[in-house]
Amino acid sequence: MTRFYSETEVVALIDELTPPRLQTYLRAHIVRPVPTPAGPGYREADLARLQLLCDLSDSYDLPEDTLRMVMSLIDQLNTARGDMRALMQAVAAEPDEVRIRIHHSVRHSRG
Amino acid sequence: MAGDPYAALGLTKSASDAEIKKAYRRIAKTDHPDLNPDPAAAERFKAASAAYDLLKDPEQRRRFDAGEIDEQGQERPQRRYYRDHAEAAGNPYAQGYGFDGDPDLSDVFADLFGRRGTGGFGQGGTRRDFHMRGQDYRFSLEVDFMTAARGGKARITLPEGGDLEVTIPKGVRDGQTIRLKGKGGAGMGQGGAGDAYLTISVAPHPEFRREGDDIFLTLPISLDEAVLGGKVAAPTVDGPVNLTIPKGASSGRRLRLRGRGINGGDQQVELKIVMPPKIDDDLATFIETWRRDHGYDPRAGMKVGG
Repeated sequence: MTRFYSETEVVALIDELTPPRLQTYLRAHIVRPVPTPAGPGYREADLARLQLLCDLSDSYDLPEDTLRMVMSLIDQLNTARGDMRALMQAVAAEPDEVRIRIHHSVRHSRG
Repeated sequence: MAGDPYAALGLTKSASDAEIKKAYRRIAKTDHPDLNPDPAAAERFKAASAAYDLLKDPEQRRRFDAGEIDEQGQERPQRRYYRDHAEAAGNPYAQGYGFDGDPDLSDVFADLFGRRGTGGFGQGGTRRDFHMRGQDYRFSLEVDFMTAARGGKARITLPEGGDLEVTIPKGVRDGQTIRLKGKGGAGMGQGGAGDAYLTISVAPHPEFRREGDDIFLTLPISLDEAVLGGKVAAPTVDGPVNLTIPKGASSGRRLRLRGRGINGGDQQVELKIVMPPKIDDDLATFIETWRRDHGYDPRAGMKVGG
């Protein structure tokens, strides 16, 4: 069972997060909590995301649309990194013969 | 955090509150673990972030400077890093990164990772029909020497039951692999069947030996055939062939039957003189007489003494 945090809890847990700031992120749909009968529910992933959003906002003073774009790039990169890791693990478990074939093919197309 | 929090920020005790904030932001920009994958950067950021948490509050900074609290300050919750969640399977913010629209790779990509939203809302999505090529099968098959030399048919039993007739090509070598296209496992969806691979081992033959496309055979001849010469029938992989034994041939003499090997190779015949089963008086008497006038030393050419 996923643990959900309420809006109040989230603001209390993240030092840099203020209620207006949270509203900004919600309006821009950069953070998408799960609707629950008790109101929006924040997962651990949302908390970590909010922490990063606060860090980015503080360090770079990013406007909303830029922040949204940066987060999209970060999400793409992390998803690709997770996929790549899964693929690398699958490749690593293959016999030498298969790994050598993949190696040649990758070297061929990626120099 | 361990050690001097001022050092973690690249500052000294005399730094102003503004300098502390500035130093922290500078490190956060370059070393934030969600932006910089270098583990050393993550360590620097961790140290700077802990230092900043301690020093950003003037009262807490005063107490630390006065030695009232140590650099651990007080218990603070574990800092969260988005990357720990973002890379994990099932991250609600997972986003496609361009393969979904690739005409050549989108199917492969979706088979491996499923379909993802390409930003904004609408996650998940439906999986396309699943297509996968069938499994390849690998078999070992032993064929006898003559089948390998001349080609022929063999049967193999398939993993799903049933059997398959296989054509063994003429001249197949020991260890060679034959690919039977489409004879592997059935595919799923529009995926084609896999292939079957047969690794051939060739059983040895009591008389013939093979090197590449040449065949080697030791042919026994009689004493009289060796002395007088003549035509004898020599077996080859394609049936017997007349071979002319030159007059006076010794054991070990090699004769070549051109084109009688495999796929245009030759057959090499090594002669071996075989004595009659019994040396009768006639032969012994004749040889004794013969030796008196015609003795010869077959070991004269040897390099070592006998």
